[in-house]
Amino acid sequence: MPDVTFDQVAVAVPLDHRPEPKVLLEDVTLQLTEQRVGVIGANGSGKSTLLRLVNGLIQPTAGTVAVDGDDTVRAVRKVRRSVGFVFTDPLSQLVMPTGREDVELSLRRSVKNGTERRRLAEAALDRLGLLHLADQSIYELSGGERQLMALAAVLAVDPAVLVLDEPSTLLDLRNRELLRRTLAGLDQQIIMSTHDLELALEMDRVLVIEQGKVAFDGAAADAVNAYRALCSESLDNLQARGPQR
Amino acid sequence: MRGHGFLLANYVPGDSLVHRSPLAVKFLLVFACGLASFAIVDWRISLLVLAGLCGLFLLTGAGLKRLWGAVRPLAAVLLVIGLFQWWQLGAPTAARIVLNILVCVVAASLLTATTPVQQLLDGVVKAAGPFTRFGADPERFALTIGIMLRSIPYIAGTFADVRDSARARGLERNPRALVLPVFITSVAFARQTGEALAARGLGEAED
Repeated sequence: MPDVTFDQVAVAVPLDHRPEPKVLLEDVTLQLTEQRVGVIGANGSGKSTLLRLVNGLIQPTAGTVAVDGDDTVRAVRKVRRSVGFVFTDPLSQLVMPTGREDVELSLRRSVKNGTERRRLAEAALDRLGLLHLADQSIYELSGGERQLMALAAVLAVDPAVLVLDEPSTLLDLRNRELLRRTLAGLDQQIIMSTHDLELALEMDRVLVIEQGKVAFDGAAADAVNAYRALCSESLDNLQARGPQR
Repeated sequence: MRGHGFLLANYVPGDSLVHRSPLAVKFLLVFACGLASFAIVDWRISLLVLAGLCGLFLLTGAGLKRLWGAVRPLAAVLLVIGLFQWWQLGAPTAARIVLNILVCVVAASLLTATTPVQQLLDGVVKAAGPFTRFGADPERFALTIGIMLRSIPYIAGTFADVRDSARARGLERNPRALVLPVFITSVAFARQTGEALAARGLGEAED
């Protein structure tokens, strides 16, 4: 499995009219070598920031992130060739009007021959059972089909690591199950944030992110329990404070 | 987001004469129609050209429904332009302007309905080849066209969603309630698209 390392990573962004920057992530040191890593936590806790660091979409303000030894800042192009990223909303990810065209777009840089590109695109779609939807407009697909189409476009270039940012958030139960089964069959290392605790329970290792820090790191069942405890504590504190004026 | 009207017809597989014509010929046809829209001064000639293009479109097997689908999103705008020009410059000029716009749209639809997008992009890459000596990346030209084809229906769909939201709040007559959300959503879409392209390593310079 690839080796994704975070070494004392912090991310902070400047805010208008405030002297101090907002800290999104601080003091994160991790070595991720498991095949399936889950990331759970409240909205705004820093999950997406953590994931975006792996692909070099965000640069750390302190510390380093590396994928198999390649720094995500200095070797960002190499990193992006080995790390695929799937966003929550596939509509913001699918660039072309149909799935076939989008998968072919992924392959344009590596495969110059049009016929070969078409063959590889069809193989990538077929692998996820999407070939019959290849020429349909992406707007005519269901949410689950669109998400799988976005996944096929990313998998077409065979990345070693697959990062998914809450991929099941917009999906109904059936499509969520479809996505879950598809992910279960992949050979890639998967790093995925999710609010779906059932999905999190299937991971080899789960990180709980709370206010920009890793609050728990361990086995899935323990992590989910830790997250539930954090949520209860936070709600109790909120109720104890009473209504705000 | 709801289904989207699209200004240009999507590719329809087929074996018509237009399908089999070289891409360069189809490009030239669109280019010539664009030039003709400036050169033609008689609305009757515009009508003849439009009829010829519609005939070609139907010969491809793409169908009347797709032809209407390509023109329909423009209908309201063309009506406004036509009425304004009629008031300002008279009926023959108004007819010529409206017909010439339709000529351009139908010609472009003929190209997109008979050419797979990847072939279109390959053509753009080839056409942009000479610019590499000035440091340009032809793949970026192709990517730009691809994103344009994809963004038009997205923004059209956003407009429809925003209009419904405004209606639901009783704000359908407030232009700010329509324009601002579409503008903000479009900027957010552009940012998300940029991020998605970066994540996929698309649009980066060749190694």
